[in-house]
Amino acid sequence: MSACSRRAAIILILWLGVLVAPGVNGFGLDDLKKQFAESSEVLGESLKTLAQLRGEVSTDEEIEIGANLTSGLLGAAPLVADENLQRYVNDVGSWVAAQSERAELPWRFGVIQSDGINAFAAPGGYVVITLGLYQLLENEAQLAGVLAHEISHVVRKHHLEALQETLQRDLLSGLTVAVVDSKKEHTAMRTLIHSGLQLYTTGLDREYEYEADLRGVVLAARAGYDPYAFLDVLTTIDSINPDSAELIVMMNTHPPTAERLDTLARNMDDRLDSYAPGVDNAGRFRKVVAVP
Amino acid sequence: MRALLLASCWYNAATMLSLLRVLLVFVLLGSEVRAESQGIIVRQATVYTDASIAAGSVGNVPAGVTVTMFKRKGGWQEIYSEERSIIGWVRSYQVRVGNYNSSVVNQEKEDERGFLSGLATFSRTASGYFTQDSGTTSSGTATIGVRGLSEVEINSAEPDFEELKKMDQYASDDKRVKRFSTAGGLQAHKVPYISEVRK
Repeated sequence: MSACSRRAAIILILWLGVLVAPGVNGFGLDDLKKQFAESSEVLGESLKTLAQLRGEVSTDEEIEIGANLTSGLLGAAPLVADENLQRYVNDVGSWVAAQSERAELPWRFGVIQSDGINAFAAPGGYVVITLGLYQLLENEAQLAGVLAHEISHVVRKHHLEALQETLQRDLLSGLTVAVVDSKKEHTAMRTLIHSGLQLYTTGLDREYEYEADLRGVVLAARAGYDPYAFLDVLTTIDSINPDSAELIVMMNTHPPTAERLDTLARNMDDRLDSYAPGVDNAGRFRKVVAVP
Repeated sequence: MRALLLASCWYNAATMLSLLRVLLVFVLLGSEVRAESQGIIVRQATVYTDASIAAGSVGNVPAGVTVTMFKRKGGWQEIYSEERSIIGWVRSYQVRVGNYNSSVVNQEKEDERGFLSGLATFSRTASGYFTQDSGTTSSGTATIGVRGLSEVEINSAEPDFEELKKMDQYASDDKRVKRFSTAGGLQAHKVPYISEVRK
């Protein structure tokens, strides 16, 4: 399959993953196949593959989707030009990710040049954290906690699932069909990127965020870090004016920080207390970011 | 330090009960040397006699109260409030270290939840000390991100595949990660996910 039809296939796989799901009856699969086959030879070719894949996104395809979404994020804010910092974040993130069920993914971590306080995950193992958030952190355990939250989104494929739903909505409204009909695969992929980027401003289902919180602290504990360090991060965030420009996107896309803290504390009590003596490696953290 | 705390309590007859508690803690903990730091209660906190909800409560401390922080244990923080003449344990997320080296600029304003909002206006000076690729240390604003990442900026972003390539170059491999974890004293544990979520 050519790169062109492959990318078109990925987009369609995302749609069909939702359309063939139980309880989704708004659009018949046969009708969909017919419509696309008639309108585009390339996409018609892709449908054969789709039939084989039955709406499942392979790991390779997931990584390709994630790479495209991440390129969009990096277009909004480039990486901080500090190799030591970037490698350090990759070391911490990769060690935490190695404790997950998807350790085999090619995990990539980055700090982006933004004063905003936020972190983002993309399918396939991509995680970026803003410089603004990084600067709030006090030790390696806190960094691990933040990265573990994002890693959990990837492990549970939260963004992939949300992207499928978004694209399905567009499809049913006819917007995406018009783009695909143009037969320009790069345009179609750009649509995918923009749909993905919109997710970063509208946010995931709030339940996904709570799930990532709860799984993230466990991953941090598995990695030998103090899992409560993540609560310290949330405490810091909760002490910042939620209307500040730096926090606005995070506040719009996550449950209230106070509720996240309450939920975490309630669920960690008596379960993760014994891992609290985990290391925080504050000294190593400070060597990467010198404290004035 | 503990002797000073004792002395401060001595002159306040109304705090005799607290004094007994302080004395008890003093006796139990002996002369163990531990790091102390100043902190601030950021969420209204119930103070317990030990690091457990099962332990008895000895009172409450509202947000904004300055405390001395002693030991941390399993998500709990031992604190002393001179203002309230109370010593005990609160959840670690209810108190925040506020030392003079912090870049936090206090703008305390308790909100309706009893939390401190707008507590922190963060100085960006720390970012001026990131090391450059060459290993030198920069100062000033050369490496400081001056842009935010607004909704509009995210939604209107054009993909940057060159930056993506850079991100690939910084990735760690298994060997490097193993070396990193060993150097950091990190040991993996088997910890089950939390299956029964307490609502």
